[in-house]
This record gives sequence, structure tokens and C-alpha cells, in this order.
Amino acid sequence: MPKLFSILGSSSHPQLGPFEQQMLEELWRRGSATVRELLADGTIHQAYTTVMTTVDRLYKKGLLERVAEGRAFRYTPRQSPQEFQRVAVLDSIRQLLGNGEASSLPLSYLVEALSSHDAQLLDELQLLVEQKRRELKNRGGKDRAEEQP
Amino acid sequence: MIFALRGVAVSLTFFVLIYCLLSALVVVAWRAVRVLRLTADGLAVGLFALRVLPLVASFVITLAFVVPSFQLLEPRSADEGMGVMPVALGLCALLLIAAGCFRVAKAQRGTSRVVARWQQGARPLNAGLAAATLQSRREAPPLMLVGVRGPRVLVSESAVELLTKHELQIALRHELAHMRSRDNLKKLICRFCPFPGMAALESAWSQAAEMAADDAAVAKVDDAVDLAAALVKLSRLVPVDAPPVCTVGFVTGSLSARVTRLLAWDGSAKARGLAVRPWNFVAPVLVLIFCAFATYGPVLALTHEATEWLVR
Repeated sequence: MPKLFSILGSSSHPQLGPFEQQMLEELWRRGSATVRELLADGTIHQAYTTVMTTVDRLYKKGLLERVAEGRAFRYTPRQSPQEFQRVAVLDSIRQLLGNGEASSLPLSYLVEALSSHDAQLLDELQLLVEQKRRELKNRGGKDRAEEQP
Repeated sequence: MIFALRGVAVSLTFFVLIYCLLSALVVVAWRAVRVLRLTADGLAVGLFALRVLPLVASFVITLAFVVPSFQLLEPRSADEGMGVMPVALGLCALLLIAAGCFRVAKAQRGTSRVVARWQQGARPLNAGLAAATLQSRREAPPLMLVGVRGPRVLVSESAVELLTKHELQIALRHELAHMRSRDNLKKLICRFCPFPGMAALESAWSQAAEMAADDAAVAKVDDAVDLAAALVKLSRLVPVDAPPVCTVGFVTGSLSARVTRLLAWDGSAKARGLAVRPWNFVAPVLVLIFCAFATYGPVLALTHEATEWLVR
């Protein structure tokens, strides 16, 4: 999850502080919650007013929706983590390509980074395949040994 | 003559209105199909059915209700004008159909041109498949199913060299599964009925179709591992250019998701999800036909009232 928020560092997407990130993650996990519910299980060691101010700030940044529930508000994230990530990534790429005089230069860096990421990913997948093959071979050997009297 | 023209305009108007309304509904609600926990094959069938639902439903409703209601209930007086709304929306419908035809023709022309280039110097490969299989040159894409009528599988020389015999056999079985489910034709049909916001649904269908073809190709764990190995090996050969529309590449969709899924494969995985078979649609279709028969008169009258409202 920190990786997801680090994407925001270079984008015009609302910047989030560590406690704001924690609150947003908590709301993603729960689906929706009031401030009292967020504090109820004791995992957040902050004052009621701090949590209230933080979720209110997230609401004002357009990341949460809220509906009145008695004298409090129930907060719900506007986007799923995946949608949030998609918007943040698109925003960062747009900003990267829009920056500077020659937009082809950042684009070439991006292609280079993606190519090396792709190659790395393929190596990792190749390792997984080989590992699975070894596993199957060992299991086959054991099965044959067990079958022999 | 005016009567016939009015009939055409009204029918096209209904067609475009129903098409847009249903398309908008599909764009908003298609993700709900995932709640059903379908098998990959079932998901592919369900997503494609949703994708073409607006086109098929608007066509059927127009032919079954709008045209007869106009023919039977509209007085044949010559003094009634056409109305601006039917003319404008009728033109929109014609534009939509023309755009669909243009997109299909362009996709087919583009595919033929590129496939002809790939097939230069290709020779038949005896792979024991039910489809024509050709071995293309080294620089062609590693493994593709191409064409709508008379589909054929193209395997590049590099792919043949890189894969073991069994890996190649499983990979070919994957392409054969695409051929059996007529995925190239389905892609072409999607081109015919454009609507903003459908790209996400098409991408989800494409991914589900890949996984369904993976499932169809695999019968035991060794097959799954060999298919995963073939995917990883051939990924390194895939050209950067996007493939033309009427082709299905072996390395398509999320590679890591497919490889991970294949490495976790077990025989019971296919049986766990809800499968969709053609006969699953028989009962709902029969109910719909029965309802249509039972309410045909009132529905025709209602359709005619809507027509009057539109023409006014």
C-alpha cells in the first residue's frame, strides 16, 4: 500500500499525509465508517478530534463521501484502491509527459523503465515455473518410491 | 411513400433509443456479472452476451414490436408530417450503423494486410490440429490465430525452436480453443456496435476468453505448467506493435495473472465455478417469447402510443 501512495508524490492528485493514508486504508478495509467506529477497535491511537479533522480533510480533498447519521457523519471512500491507483498513475504519467520542453525524453525513460520491469517480471515468472516443475518432479519421485514395496 | 419513410424513420428512432439506453445500462452495470462466480468460460460467455445485448435486443424489439405496431395501427393518411425527432434520431441510427460497417471493414482490411505480411514465406506445419497451421518466418509474432472465415494458426520459426514439443502442443490447443469459441468473429461484432465506455467490458471479456482458452487447453497439472512455461518463453518474442483486430495472440491479457493461475491449477478448479451452457439460455428465452405472445396486443398499442408521442 505505501507503494500506492508514493505514486502520488509526483502527481497533481491530492497529496496525503501518513495519518490521512492510514485513515483512507482503514476506510477501504471497512467499506464505510463513522469516526466513533474507526476508534472503536483500539487500533488507532489518536484523539477523536484528530480523527474527525483528518477524515474531514479527506472529504474536502474529494476522496470520501459522507452522509449524516444521527449527530455524526458516515464516511465512504469515493474510489476503490484500484481506481485510486489508476487515477494516480495516469495523473503522474500525464504530468511526466507534459513536463519539460521535449516530452519524448521522459517518454523514453518510461519505456526504458517498463522494458526493464517487464524483463524482471518475466525472469520472476520463469523462476516460478521452474520451481513448480521441480516440485512436481520431486512429488513424482516420492510417489514412485512409496508405490515400490 | 411518405408512410413508408415515416415507418423507417420511426423504426430507426426506436432502434437507436433502445440501443443507447441498453448500452448505457450495460456500461454501468456489467461488473455485477462477477457476483455470479462463473467459470472462466462462463464469464467469457456472460461478458460477451452483455456486450452484444444492446445491439441484439434493440434489433429484436424494433422488428418484433415497432415495425408491426406502425404497420397495423398507424393510419395511412398522407397529410401527417415526419416530425423533427424521428428524422434526427433516424439519421443518428443510420450514422451508427454506417460507423459500425466502416469499423468492421477497416478492421478486416487492416487484418488482411498485416496477416498477408506475416504469411509471406509461411509453410504448412503438421501439428495434428483440427485447424490449418502454418509456420511463419522468424520475425512474425510467435503464435497467433488469424482470420474470421477459415481461421488458421500461425506459429513462427522462433516459437517452434524455443518451445518443447509438449509446450508447443498445449499452446496450439489454447489457440484451437479460441477458434472453437469464434473469438475473432466476436471481436469483429464488438467493432460493429461501438458505444463510449465499453472498452473496460471488452478488456474484461478478452481476459476471460484467454483464461477460458487456458482452461480448455489444460487437462492435468503438467499441461498447466507447460502452458505457463510457453507463455513466459513466448512473451519475450512478442512484437511491440498492437496486433490487428481479427487475430488472437497467444500472449494476450495479464501475463502474470495467467501464469500464476496456471501454476496454481488443480483439476477441481474448473468444477468450482458456475458454468454457462447454451441450454441455460433456453428457459429464459422461452419465457420471454411466451410473455411477448401473451402481451403482444397491449404492447403493440403501447408502442404505437410511444410512436405517436415521438412523431408529434
